[in-house]
This record gives sequence, structure tokens and C-alpha cells, in this order.
Amino acid sequence: MTILAHRDYRQVETHEAEVAVIGTGAGGAVVGTELAEAGRDVLFVEEGGYHPTSSFNPYLTESLPRLFRDAGGTIIMGRPPIPYAEGRCVGGGTVVNGGMTWRPPEQVLMQWARLTGQPDLGPKAMEPVFDRVEQRIHAKPQHPSSIGEDSRLLERGARRLGWRYEPNRRAQDRCVGSNQCLTGCPTGAKQSTLVSYLPRALSRGARCLTEVRANRLWIENGRCVGVLGSGINPRTREEDVEVRVRAKAVVVACGAIQTPFLLLRHRLGRPSRQLGKNFLCHPNTKVLAIYPHDIYAWQGVSQGGQIREFRDEGILMAENAVPPGTAAAQIPFLGDEALELMKRYNAMAMTGVLVEDSHAGSVSRCLGAPLAKYSITPYDHERFLRGVRYLATLHFEMGAEKVILPFSNFHVANDVDDLAEIERTQRSRSTIELFTVHMMGTCRMGSDPRDSVVNMSGELWDLPGCYVADASLFPTAVGVNPQVTIMAMATLVAQRLRLPN
Amino acid sequence: MEVGARMRRILLTLADSIIPESPRTPDTLEEVTRHALVSLRYMPRSSARMFLWGMRLLNWAPLWRLRGLRPLTALPAAVARRHLVALTQSRWLPIRLLMYGPVGLFMSSYFDQDFAHREIKYAPVPFVADRIELRRRWIEGHEPGSDDEVHHPAALAP
Repeated sequence: MTILAHRDYRQVETHEAEVAVIGTGAGGAVVGTELAEAGRDVLFVEEGGYHPTSSFNPYLTESLPRLFRDAGGTIIMGRPPIPYAEGRCVGGGTVVNGGMTWRPPEQVLMQWARLTGQPDLGPKAMEPVFDRVEQRIHAKPQHPSSIGEDSRLLERGARRLGWRYEPNRRAQDRCVGSNQCLTGCPTGAKQSTLVSYLPRALSRGARCLTEVRANRLWIENGRCVGVLGSGINPRTREEDVEVRVRAKAVVVACGAIQTPFLLLRHRLGRPSRQLGKNFLCHPNTKVLAIYPHDIYAWQGVSQGGQIREFRDEGILMAENAVPPGTAAAQIPFLGDEALELMKRYNAMAMTGVLVEDSHAGSVSRCLGAPLAKYSITPYDHERFLRGVRYLATLHFEMGAEKVILPFSNFHVANDVDDLAEIERTQRSRSTIELFTVHMMGTCRMGSDPRDSVVNMSGELWDLPGCYVADASLFPTAVGVNPQVTIMAMATLVAQRLRLPN
Repeated sequence: MEVGARMRRILLTLADSIIPESPRTPDTLEEVTRHALVSLRYMPRSSARMFLWGMRLLNWAPLWRLRGLRPLTALPAAVARRHLVALTQSRWLPIRLLMYGPVGLFMSSYFDQDFAHREIKYAPVPFVADRIELRRRWIEGHEPGSDDEVHHPAALAP
């Protein structure tokens, strides 16, 4: 395996490869592995460090800086502002996500086929691509013994209310429910690209430069011929080494915020002016319920299933147990009052409502950093209120003592009658507290340069040799966890990528 | 990230007002402040600077809330906490936004300490070790059984 880190670099580091892939998450790792297996000389460029499975532990203070962009302190500006999290390590977001492997609903793929005018994005044509991805990441349901009490409670509640509940299929091989998806799976069961795709690529001769920030593309005669970056000293966080990678093609797979941020530096995407537009993020909100008995939500797999009864309205609900540090940052109390609530951590069911986007935001550059802007619409807001009410009702139905609501001006519901107050008190979109991890759609794929950023091969319309292979390709929101769709799109890009003679 | 003594004092004051008063060890305040500074190093410089300006602004909250002339650093912790609680419940979104950063940083750091884990009866390390061992047995061909349930009493005792 050839994984280089900052300590291995000279003052000016130059590499050559047939294909340079920026990013090693769900998009980058897949496209690079497919190309390496096809005999291409692939070089990955990853901003984060290499952290093997044996290094993962449940401590947030260690994991956040090592595995997350900006130590988890990232935010989308808008009404309301939405904190978001994305991975920054070898394996990218797949190291820190829940590993859900939902395929996009058929109507979404049909819409993509219609919007792009390409039937090969339709459900039938995409089926073998999804099959290939799912086989490689072992997408399958959990073993029942790994399901925790919080998931079971949600399932029982949904059944009692007559709602459709579906167990999650996940990228996992013998997952034992350690519930550490967020801080890197310490058992190696979650099939992040760190343990699934990347070892395949490296065994085929691919190389990986870690701790390198891609600052700009290397462009010669109107063609992308490489990446110019800098090595980041992990101790000082200073960019003190110059790194150049020359390649016949460059694949940008840094996610829906960092990809447009990099491309906008070169004023690309001019034909359609859509680069950085069409930003989608599946905003979600949390509902915490306190039960009279302990349920130990931190034991057992995170998100055993989803309530999909309201899928047609664009509302999904699931449990999502997070470590106490994350939970405490989300509760509406400080000091001893917060501690009093956190003493009930073992009795806490942490659940969330995800709402499918009904409109789009944008990503631009501001003071050397990406600026993501997104505001929910009154329609989204109304669905959030409905989703919160549904979930809180379920918790009270299952015997919850109280429910902590995600509103800055209405924190606690003590019984089901209190939920009637939601409509009365929540007139403004600014009072709801949201969060997201599903960023999509800022370099939309299409067959017409007037309304898309990249062509159907993933290549930029106005920069030959530069491809995109991540969630930014999505023409619309997928409405489900996007990992498998990103991997499928990256597989397509790998199949269609053509190198110059 | 390197900060001056004054900023350090502001961060210590904010941490003191945000995290629970007990339990704490003698190092708790230093530890959560150190974690905040480490996190800032991982952010773009412009974001880190903006965060620190936000903390300066918070320090003068009594003044711009028209509740006093002294900054939080000059007030008793209980009074400073009352100011911050009011800010988290402000009807103005930009003011609440100002509190996102310090609350997230200090609370996540505090509740990541072993003594805080004990206080809330959370014990992930033995549980995870138990599950790693279980997966090793599964890989060796052991058939999953009722003893492997995630809520087996042995695994439940924190």
C-alpha cells in the first residue's frame, strides 16, 4: 500500500499519474478504484489524514478534529442557519456516516432521466450499477442481535400507530452494533471506503497522498492537466509543503460544498452559470424523548430503520443516537440544568425528522472559505412542524415522560396536549433548529451545457480533462441517504472517463 | 491556535459559565478551553478569527444588552451564566447564532471526559471492547446467539 503523509514530503513534491482523484469518500474512492481495477495509474489526493480502524475510539475531542472538516464546526448560512458535518479523512464521509444504503426512489431516477434526456440514468439502466456497488459494500439488513432498544421502540411505536417502518440496509459486514458510526467504526464492520474500496485500489497500485489540500487545478491550453496543492503539517496545521500532481485527467470528488469551492476559483461553469447553484441538503431536526426507564440508545446500531409512512410527503423519521457530547450541545440548557437532563442520557431516545428539499441554495467563495447559503421554505417549515408532531406523538404513545423539541422558543412538551402549541408558537422559520449531513447538487449533470455544469460523463463543459464524481452531480435531491447513489454515479463516471491519447 | 491572555480569559469565563459547575476536576476548565483552541486550528483562518471576534462580542453582552457596564470576565460565574442563558433564548436569530459555537465546543468537550461519563452512567469503552471481541468470534465462525444481543445484561451494566 502506498499512502504518503506530510512527514514523507519534500519541500516541493511532484507526482505524475494517469488520473488524479481529489477526495477518497463515497465518490472519489469509487471512481479511483474502478479506474485502478481497469488498469489505470491512479493517485488519490486527500486533505485529511489516514486513520486505520484500530485508531477509532468513542472520544469526540479526539475524533472531531481528526475525522471531520473544521472539527465539525461548519455551518450553512440562511434562515435558519444549519450546522453541517462532513468527513475529512481517508474514507471521507463514509467513515463518519451511518452507512445507510437506500437506493433512490424510482420516481427520482425517472426524473433524472427526463431532466437530462438520458434514459441510462433511469431505474432499469441503473440497476446493474447499484447491484455492483451494493455487492462491494456488503449492503444488507442488520443482524437482529445488533439492534438496540431505541430502534425497537421506534418500530413498535410506528406499528402501534399503523405507520410503515422499514429496517435499514447498511454497508456492513457482521456489524455488532457498537454504535460508533459517527466516530469511525472500531470493529471494522461498517464498509466505509476505508475498508471496502480503497484497499482494492491500493492493491492495484493506486497511491494516496494524504494531508494535502488541493488549492487549485493545473490548467494548460484550456485543459486540466493536474492539481496544485499544499501539504498540511498535522502538528501546526500550517500548509508548508508545495504539492503538484500532473495527470491526464483530474476527478474532483470533494463533496457538494468543497467541489464547487475549488472549481469556482477558476471561474468555471460559465456556459450555464449553474456552478455552485442548485445546492440541496436534506435538512433535518431532532426530537429527544425522555423515557421513565433506561433504553441505552448508545448500545446497538445507530438507525436500525426508518419510518417511511410519510415518504410521499418528503418526510422521513428515524432514531439516531449520538454520543453525550453531541447530545449536550443540542439541548436547550446550560450548566447544571444541562447536567440534570444529561443524567437521563440512558433514558433518552434521540430521533430525527428529515425533510426533502423543496428548493435550492447556493455555494460561493467568501474570504478564502466556502459560503453555503440555504433557507427553508414555508412549505418545508410546515412539514418540519408536522414531522416533529408525528414523532413526539409516537414518543408519548410509547410512554415518554417528556419530549425536548427543536424550537428555540418552545423547548419541552410534557404531554401530547402540549403539542397543540407547536402550530401556535412556531410561526417563524428562524426558531427551528436544524442540522444536515446530506449535501448535494452544486455541479449538476446534464446533456445541455446551458442548464448543467458537467456532461453525462461527469466532465466539465468548459474544462476538458476535469471530471466531477460526488453528490454535487445530482440533478435533484434523492430524498434518501445518498451514499449508494453517490457511489453509483461515481461508477458511471469511471466507466465513461476517457483519457487523451 | 495561539491566543493572547485576554482572549484566553474570555474563553475560560465562557467555558465556566456554560459547562456544569460540578463535577469538575482541577483541570476541567483548562481542558475544555484547550479543546476549543485545538478545534480552531482545524478551521479556515477566517472562520477561526470570526469565532474569536464572536467571543469578544459575547464577553461584552451585558453592555449591549443594556444590563451592565462590565464584561462577563469581570462578573461572578452565576451572573455571567444568566446572561448567556438569556442569549440562548433570545428571539433574535443572530444572537442565538453567536452562542452555537461556544455551547457546541464546551459542552461536547465537557461531556467527553471520563468523569462526566461516570456521572451520566455512560461507559462506551468496555461496551465497544465487548463488541469488538464479539465480531472477532463471528468472523471465526461463531453463530450469533441470544448471548450476543446488544442489550445482554453484561453489556448493559455501565
